[in-house]
Amino acid sequence: MGDFFRGLPLYWAKVIAALLYLLLGLWVITRPRDFIFRGTEDKSRWRDLRLWALVLIGIQIILYFLF
Amino acid sequence: MKEVLAQHVDLFLIIVYLGAIFLFGVLFREYVKSTEDYFLAGRALPWWVIGMSIIGTNIGAYDYVGAAGGAYRFGIAQANYEWLGAIPAMIVSALVIIPYYWKNKVYTVPEYLGKRYKEAVRVIEAVIYGVFLVMLLGIFFWASGIMLHTYVGWSIGFSIVITAIVVGFYTISGGLAAVAITDVVQLGIMFVGGFAVAAVGFAKAGGVLKFFAALKAAHPQHLQVFLPLDNPAYPWLGMILGLGLVLSPAWWCANQSIIQRTLGARSEWDARAGMLFAAFPKTLIPILVVLPGFFALMFAPPGTIKNPDQALPWVVKNFLPPGIGGLVFVAFIAALHSSVDSTLNSAATLWTRDIYQRYIKRDASDRHYLLVGRILTFAFIVFGVIFAPFTEKFPGIYVAMQTLLSFFQGPTLATLLLGVLWWRATGWGGLVGLTSGVLLAVFLSVLKVNFLYVAWWSFVFSLVVNVVVSYLTPPEPPQKLRGLVYGYLEKDEDFKRAVERRING
Repeated sequence: MGDFFRGLPLYWAKVIAALLYLLLGLWVITRPRDFIFRGTEDKSRWRDLRLWALVLIGIQIILYFLF
Repeated sequence: MKEVLAQHVDLFLIIVYLGAIFLFGVLFREYVKSTEDYFLAGRALPWWVIGMSIIGTNIGAYDYVGAAGGAYRFGIAQANYEWLGAIPAMIVSALVIIPYYWKNKVYTVPEYLGKRYKEAVRVIEAVIYGVFLVMLLGIFFWASGIMLHTYVGWSIGFSIVITAIVVGFYTISGGLAAVAITDVVQLGIMFVGGFAVAAVGFAKAGGVLKFFAALKAAHPQHLQVFLPLDNPAYPWLGMILGLGLVLSPAWWCANQSIIQRTLGARSEWDARAGMLFAAFPKTLIPILVVLPGFFALMFAPPGTIKNPDQALPWVVKNFLPPGIGGLVFVAFIAALHSSVDSTLNSAATLWTRDIYQRYIKRDASDRHYLLVGRILTFAFIVFGVIFAPFTEKFPGIYVAMQTLLSFFQGPTLATLLLGVLWWRATGWGGLVGLTSGVLLAVFLSVLKVNFLYVAWWSFVFSLVVNVVVSYLTPPEPPQKLRGLVYGYLEKDEDFKRAVERRING
């Protein structure tokens, strides 16, 4: 197993990290709206925590792409 | 003359900071009437205070020095601790774990584990984290003493006592509310200091792009976020498996100092939003901790920095103009104080709720437990002040304690995740999984396995043992699991019958 990973080019680390972020993003999108807004009466768009999480994931993917 | 004036400006900044922080204690004293006020800020914290307080607590003076040293040596790979090693776990904590803590109205993480599994799991977790937090205080006080002594010239003993009085006063009088609000101010100071360093550094290099171009030309590997598998400190696979999938979720989902702020939220939405909001400043932390390491690498004359941990002190002492240096120094002190106050409050919560209230005096009044919480906070301050000088005699104490904690991170995460996500995990599964995972972590550490892989394998082992033992033992009764496990209601026969009765009128 160690030899398999040692044989991979370094950019595969970025590919794996990006895939993990994408999977997390997909999971976030599927969170139900009721759950996301639980605990607040105000259902404004800015309070949608899925958007917060997606922005964070987007920033991360850009940073890992840059470096 | 200029230097004397700058010294006066620095001293003025420090005294203004200490005075302002002291005032918070006076202002918040009248709001603390119960244990809920003291330990959980009366469950009234808004999301933005929670978010900023989480990051203020998370970043300590050790992180500044150590991370700048890591960046000096290994480059941007150090930022993994703030990015891959934090952001995904913070999202999972916000959207999966925190709702269960919040719904069950617990005060501590061990309290949740005790409800979900067994009392023994609660005791093991409470004692481990309770002892760790108290020992950490001595180290924080010593670091504060050294910093004030080096920069202002006060004696170490006097500096420790001043720190203990200021932080102790507002923590004892104002509880979590005072701690959280001061954390907000302290985080603001840290960022102002960090941006000032960045501005000075980039100006010296002739601009941001010029600086990074020069860095890339001189040290190309320093701009690679992932390093080869043979790197002794940050191998990429260890970063993804050990840091990204185990250590980081364990920290952001199960660390009492971090989670306690979300338990003090005014609503479940604020608790979750607070953790997500914290992830935004967390993304910017490399500006504070990685850039100084780069500046030391590029601007320090060759041979000046013998130990990478000297990178940041070199930047503060030789690189910054007078005045800005004082501001950055106040930022260090603020970082340290925000960690001390949170550690104090969390240690008092753990010892009062999970040990004293459970095993020493069970049915006392709320007033009694509030008094005990305050007395314990005071006792921990006294212990920290007395213990502080010993940390100098044993410089390995901090490293040893961090190693000790790393034995528990993987097994704790496995126990927590199965507890929240899998209804079939039983009390015995949790207890045996936790203890066997810890034993494996100790064994691997003795074999000198890299701590990132120790975390990963102890997590996997604990998970497997928990599953096997859970299948070998009878399932927990539904009434015990209600509200504690993700998606459990769909499997709850009583709940199904109640829904059917309602549908059928």
